[in-house]
Amino acid sequence: MFLALREMRHSKLRYALMAAILILVSFLVLFVTGLAKGLSYANASSVVNMPADAFLLSADAEHRLARSELAAPQAERIRELAGEGKSEALGVRMAAVEVDGAGKADAAVLAVDPEGWLAPPVVEGAALAPGDTGKALADAQLKAAGARIGGVLTDTASGRSWEIVGFAQDESLSHTPALFVSPAEWAELARPVRGGAASGGGEPAGSAPYNAIALQGDAQRLEAIAAELPDTALLSKRQVIEAIPGYSAEQGSLSMMIAFLYVISAFVLAVFFYVMTLQKLGQFGILKAIGAGTGYLARSVAGQVLLLAAASLAASLLLIAGFRAVLPASLPFRLDEMTLLATCGLFLATSAAGSLVSIVKVARADALEAIGRTTA
Amino acid sequence: MNRTKAKLVLDGITHAFTDGEKERTILDGLSLEVGEGELVAVTGPSGSGKSTFLSIAGALLSPDGGEVRIDGQPLSGMDAMRLAQLRLGKLGFIFQSANLIPYLKVEEQLLLVARLAGMPRAEAAARSRELLERLGLGGRRKAYPERLSGGEKQRAAIARAWMNGPEVILADEPTASLDAPRGADVMEMLRAEVKARSKAGVVVTHDERVLSFCDRVLVLDAGRLKPA
Repeated sequence: MFLALREMRHSKLRYALMAAILILVSFLVLFVTGLAKGLSYANASSVVNMPADAFLLSADAEHRLARSELAAPQAERIRELAGEGKSEALGVRMAAVEVDGAGKADAAVLAVDPEGWLAPPVVEGAALAPGDTGKALADAQLKAAGARIGGVLTDTASGRSWEIVGFAQDESLSHTPALFVSPAEWAELARPVRGGAASGGGEPAGSAPYNAIALQGDAQRLEAIAAELPDTALLSKRQVIEAIPGYSAEQGSLSMMIAFLYVISAFVLAVFFYVMTLQKLGQFGILKAIGAGTGYLARSVAGQVLLLAAASLAASLLLIAGFRAVLPASLPFRLDEMTLLATCGLFLATSAAGSLVSIVKVARADALEAIGRTTA
Repeated sequence: MNRTKAKLVLDGITHAFTDGEKERTILDGLSLEVGEGELVAVTGPSGSGKSTFLSIAGALLSPDGGEVRIDGQPLSGMDAMRLAQLRLGKLGFIFQSANLIPYLKVEEQLLLVARLAGMPRAEAAARSRELLERLGLGGRRKAYPERLSGGEKQRAAIARAWMNGPEVILADEPTASLDAPRGADVMEMLRAEVKARSKAGVVVTHDERVLSFCDRVLVLDAGRLKPA
C-alpha cells in the first residue's frame, strides 16, 4: 500500500473525481435496493410476516392465493395430516369498504384463527375472538382513510359491516391494507347471498372454503402431506409472494436497475484504472526493473481500487442514513443490516472485478521497457 | 585481474532477435569481467546492441547462450521471482533521464526499494538520509521529482540505485539529459561511490565526456566488446 497511498496523495483531484462518481453510483445502488425492499414489503408484508414454512394451495390456482380454493373437507384432511398446531387455514378476499358510511377504501380481507400463529400482533385496541362476527382487526394504514377503533367498515360487495376492535402494524397484501376477520365471520362472508337476503340455516361455521393452508414443519414432512392430496400444490412462502399480482413485475424492473448499476460501477472503475495503468506502464516497467514483483504491483492497484470503493461506500452509507432521516413516511424504504451488508459486499466484489483488466496489464508490463526510455 | 573478485561476469553471451523473417544476431560471444572498484564504460553506435547488453547484464533478459554471474551467482535457471529479488539486492540501475516515480518524494524513492527488499524501517530511514546527504540532496528530501532539476533527478536516481547496497551498478546513458558540468558532477559521484565501496560499475553511453571518468572503455562492435 506504500505506492497506492502515495499516488492517491499526489493526485488528489483525479482520485476525488473518481470517488465522487463511485459515491453517486453506490448511493443509487443502496437507494434503489432499499426502495425495492420497501416496495416488496409494502406489497406483501402480511405474507412475509407469516411464520409459515409453506403453503398448500389448490393445484389449479397457478400459485395465486386469490384463485385457490380448498374445500372444507380437504382443509380438514390437511389439518389431520399436519398434526396439532402445525396448520392454519387462510382465507383471502379483496374488498372495497366504506368507512363509517362515508369514504371508501380498499382492503384485503384475511381470515385467520385469532388464537393461531397466523394472527398478527395487535398494536392498538383488542384482539379478535374466534367466534366474533361483525368485528375486524385493521391494518394501521386504514387510519388514513378514517378508520378508528369502534368505527364501522362496510363491505360494498356483501353488505356486511365490521366494527374495528383494534389495529395491527405492517400488514398488507398487493399494496392493500389488511383487514383481519375471524373464521366465524369468514363463514358468514362466504355464505351465498340468495335474493338479497342471507339464507337462514345452512352450513355450520368453519365449513366455508379457504384459499390456502399455512403449514409449519420440515420439508420432508410437508412433501409427504402434499403427496397425500393430489389436487393441491405445496408452495414456499417466496413462491406465494412472487405470485401476488404485480409483485414480480415491480421487483423485476427494480432488480434490473440494480444489476445495471453494479455493471456500471464495475465498468467505470475498470475503465478509469485501465487508462491510468496504460499511462503508467513505463513506471511499472521501471519498478519491475529495480526489483518490484508483479504481485506487489498488482496488490498496489487492487488496493487502490478497493480503498476507493470502500471509502465511496462509506460516504454513501452516510448519505443514505441522512436521507432516511428526511424521507417521507409514504415512501416505502427498507434496508435491513443483512441487505446492507450483502449490498456492500457485492459492490466491493464488482469493484475488485473491475480492477482485473488493469492487473493483467500490470502483470504484462515489461521490465525491459525501462532500458532506453527517456521518460517515466 | 583476480577472477574471484569479479563482481560481474558475462561469459560467451550470444543473443539474437527475429526481425520479421530474418534472425538478427545482436550479441555474438560477448565476454566481460568487471572487478571490485572498477568502473567500465561501454560505447558503440546506436543499433550495436548496447541496450540488449545492458538488459542481459541487468538480469532483465535471458541470453540465448552463455552465462551471466553476478557476485559469483550464476543466473541461469533462476525464475522471474528470484531474478527480481536479485535485481533488488545485488543490482543498482540508473536509467536514462532518471526515471523516478513521479508521485514519490525523493526520500520515498529510496524508501520504496528498501521496503521491497525488506530492510528495517529505521535502518532504511538512516541510510536514505545519509545517501541523500552525501549526494547533496539533503535539502531536497521532501521534494517531488517534478520540482527537481535534471542534475538533482539523476543524483536522486543514483542514490536510489545505491540504497540496497548493490554489488553491481548499471547505468544507461546517465548523462544524456544533463549539460556538461552536471554530467561531470554525476559521473564524479558515480566513480567515487564505486571506488569507496569496492563495487563494480558499468556505464553504457555514447557521451565522450563520460569516458575520462572510467577505468576502461570498451566498444561494442559486431556483437563483442573490444578495447577502444
